[in-house]
Amino acid sequence: MADLLISGIIYGSIITLGAIGLTLMSDILNFFNFAYGDFFTLGAFSALAVLGFLPDMGTFAGLSFGWGMVIAAVTSICVTVSVMLFFDFIFFKRLRNIGVTSLFMSLASLGVSFIIRAAVNIIWGPKVRYYTPAIQISRDLPLGIRMKPDELVILICALILVVAVFYFLKKTKTGKAMRAVSDNKVLAQATGVETDRVIMWTWIVSGVLAAVAGVFYGIQVQLSPTMGWNFLIPLFVAVIMGGVGSFWGALIGGMTIGISEELITGLIQNTFNAVDIQANISVYKPAVAFVFVIVILLIKPYGLLGKRKG
Amino acid sequence: MINYLSSYLVMSCIYAIMALALNLQWGYTGLMNFGIGAFYMVGAYTSAILTGAPSAEHVGGFGLPVIAGIIGAALVSGIIAYLLSFPALKLRGGPFAIALLAIQETLYLVIKNESWLTNGVWGIRGITRPFFNLLNPRHYVFFYLIIAAGALAITFFAIEKAVNSPWGRVLKGIREDETLTSMSGKNCFLYRMQSFVFSSMVMGIAGALYVHYTGFVSPQVFSPLMSTFLVWLMVMVGGTGNNRGVILGAFLVWAIWVGSDFLTDFVPASIATQIGFIRMFFVGSILGVTILTKPQGLLTQKLLTIELFREESR
Repeated sequence: MADLLISGIIYGSIITLGAIGLTLMSDILNFFNFAYGDFFTLGAFSALAVLGFLPDMGTFAGLSFGWGMVIAAVTSICVTVSVMLFFDFIFFKRLRNIGVTSLFMSLASLGVSFIIRAAVNIIWGPKVRYYTPAIQISRDLPLGIRMKPDELVILICALILVVAVFYFLKKTKTGKAMRAVSDNKVLAQATGVETDRVIMWTWIVSGVLAAVAGVFYGIQVQLSPTMGWNFLIPLFVAVIMGGVGSFWGALIGGMTIGISEELITGLIQNTFNAVDIQANISVYKPAVAFVFVIVILLIKPYGLLGKRKG
Repeated sequence: MINYLSSYLVMSCIYAIMALALNLQWGYTGLMNFGIGAFYMVGAYTSAILTGAPSAEHVGGFGLPVIAGIIGAALVSGIIAYLLSFPALKLRGGPFAIALLAIQETLYLVIKNESWLTNGVWGIRGITRPFFNLLNPRHYVFFYLIIAAGALAITFFAIEKAVNSPWGRVLKGIREDETLTSMSGKNCFLYRMQSFVFSSMVMGIAGALYVHYTGFVSPQVFSPLMSTFLVWLMVMVGGTGNNRGVILGAFLVWAIWVGSDFLTDFVPASIATQIGFIRMFFVGSILGVTILTKPQGLLTQKLLTIELFREESR
């Protein structure tokens, strides 16, 4: 039970990072970006590539990675953001100028998703990869919690990043402009907010979050070219559940999805095992997110903290 | 060679039926369905189980005639669509697409893991192929081409008739402006549901036609790329809301898809193994470029009057 909860919290924190990026993007750019998950993949794999170039720099005490991973993560953030801005330049910027509806923008993002996934497959191959072959052993923490040191670091880093994004949105001029555009685009433009700059910053913030989340998932689980695509449904469910554009909504949504996917399937499996029913429930983990989206949207069509847009 | 061409035409016809069904949803009703593969898959498996021979590994062995399998496929797809329409059709645009994508993933998991029903990843073999014993196996593909082309023609005329009827005009109205349509006293939910269920039944039939052609079905065939997004590409290339266009799109896109098989003979072996991903790359690129250059597709549709009204009111 406690183990399930811990792994749910870790998984949830990775989803939350992505969900915050995705909710900002869905709101400010005003379309559902189906390529967002594949930027996770891109981030994770470009970090792998950088690690391959770097000499062995040792590891931090007790962790499975060292300074090499820090350099790799920073580089992968740069790569992911550049690729995002590149696709914005060749596709989305032009589509915005043509003025197509958001549904067509979503379809174009689907094309981008295929392009990235194919490129990752061609460059790195379809096999599952790991950053390090070493296996980590869980350690006992106070209060009877057992956790790998890597997991603790991921959790703390995710928390720092979420706080950083929160302060960026709350305190900086760019962050305020982003929130203004999200509230009311026309009004923001009328008061002199440069929409192009805001859109660029939205790509940058969500790119940073996607790359970091991808690297974290790579450290925690594994890397595979389809990992980002598999993240897409939980990510969108978290965004829709929290309400598109809501920072706190994405936080709540991401954690709820992460924890409940682990907890619900785990608990059902335990119950089945207890009463001797042969069934493998864990394969249906992704379906939990689907049930969630249906239930939440039936109760609250605009999400938990969503705002109704006119 | 002529066999190869006929086989290409059969698959094109099946995909064209899918594309027509998607066009009814997306092109005429504005439903962004990213889970069409689910109904195709359900149709395929329903027909395979209903007509299949008895097997120790999974249910089946009803041994029904093929026509019963096709009707069963349409019914089961239709019932699933009907049941799903209550929660799913409350959503619009992006969230609807996500919900349907999630439905497809969930049904895919069920098909893949519940081997008592579908024999899991090993798939179902030896599915009845209609009149296979009466014909020379080498000429069978020509016979099946007639069936597939006939089914395509029926689907085309049925959908053309439907969208040009008053019913179809309401659908177009919903696509353009749902509030306006409901203000004219139309029950939009009911119309969207009818469109959703009807086209899902057509997709089920397409799935049944597919399994009775290949005689084999396994979950791998229903990957989102092959069963959903390729069809989307066909509709986008052909022209949203244009039935002739999407048929053209289906034949064109499928020609590019199978045409790349020939390429494997001319490129080094190291690249040949990656042909699947290169295809995926091109699917993505074509989709993006089509939307960028010709958002309405190759054969563009005449503007609706309601569109003109909107221009003025802006």
